[in-house]
Amino acid sequence: MDQKSAGLNLTIFFCQQSDPDQDANRRSIEKEFGSRVRFFPLPCGGRIDSLHIMRALESGADKVYVVTCPEGACRYREGNTRAQKRIAYTQKLIEEINLEGERIELITLPAGKPIAIDELARELLAREASVGPSPVRVR
Amino acid sequence: MITAERKPISEIKEMIAPYRKILVVGCGSCVAECASGGEKETGLLASAIRMDAKSSGKDIEVREMTLDRQCVYEFIDQLNDVIADYDIVLSLGCGAGVQAVAEVFPKVHIVPALNTTFIGQTKEAGLWIENCRGCGDCKLGVFAAVCPVTRCAKGLFNGPCGGSKSDRCEVDPDVPCAWQQIVSRLQDRGRLDLLRKVHPPADWSKQQGKGPRKIYREDQRS
Repeated sequence: MDQKSAGLNLTIFFCQQSDPDQDANRRSIEKEFGSRVRFFPLPCGGRIDSLHIMRALESGADKVYVVTCPEGACRYREGNTRAQKRIAYTQKLIEEINLEGERIELITLPAGKPIAIDELARELLAREASVGPSPVRVR
Repeated sequence: MITAERKPISEIKEMIAPYRKILVVGCGSCVAECASGGEKETGLLASAIRMDAKSSGKDIEVREMTLDRQCVYEFIDQLNDVIADYDIVLSLGCGAGVQAVAEVFPKVHIVPALNTTFIGQTKEAGLWIENCRGCGDCKLGVFAAVCPVTRCAKGLFNGPCGGSKSDRCEVDPDVPCAWQQIVSRLQDRGRLDLLRKVHPPADWSKQQGKGPRKIYREDQRS
């Protein structure tokens, strides 16, 4: 079953350098799905913090995505690699409370191809659901 | 700086299990610098506790707050109007902070969320190293500001031991030989003469010989 049909709530933190039209692009999804898909543009993927991810999960996200620029293409040099480390830390933390680490996922965009954040969100919604609704939300 | 590391969540859960209203209190000083007990880490732990409770259907209330310093009464006072509403305080302070809060509020159950580890320095982002044992008899002036008691694996006052290889300690090759550093620095400063003196064993009575230590200064008292 895909993530849309499974009724999963997605939170997407993304580097706004990756989509110059992100402000307009994400609105269509926000209109269509309301709070089921929440976007948080970041000035750089490296701005993501474990606390952002934990608060997103606590607020009802079933799955959190952090979208960063391709490796070697970060405008601030190391933002994407920093994001990766923070995700790994947060995955370990949620595993300590018996949540699956895969509820947090890093998406490194392919090089040389600009993305529209709404297209990416639709692609994510169409992905096979690897986790069910979060016990934090459904209890 | 005093460094600390968070306890495993399973251990923290066990301590707070009997209680419903939990006040999670961070400290904005040393443990914030070593990223274990500051405002951010307090938020992370509080979030984790809330999510864990929700997942297992437990009804608890968790509030988080961070004091500038948990080991000083003037800052602990910020808990005065809050603490009575909670069944337990989960402190992200160092051992000194936990005990100071407990002393101010003797009727409240206070438990540590951190394991306090050592006095150290931020070597680089994400790396903290132990460099002071608080021995009470500092000899850094003689040893070119490298503490052989802490940074030499053998704690030698009269080194080097001769076992280092390529400037690394033979006990742990990841660690630079403290005595190599002492000799190199004193050489650079033209003060190798400082090493001619043979040092007697350290006087450990100044550390723990008479139980917990205290510093008393009349000029600082009100």
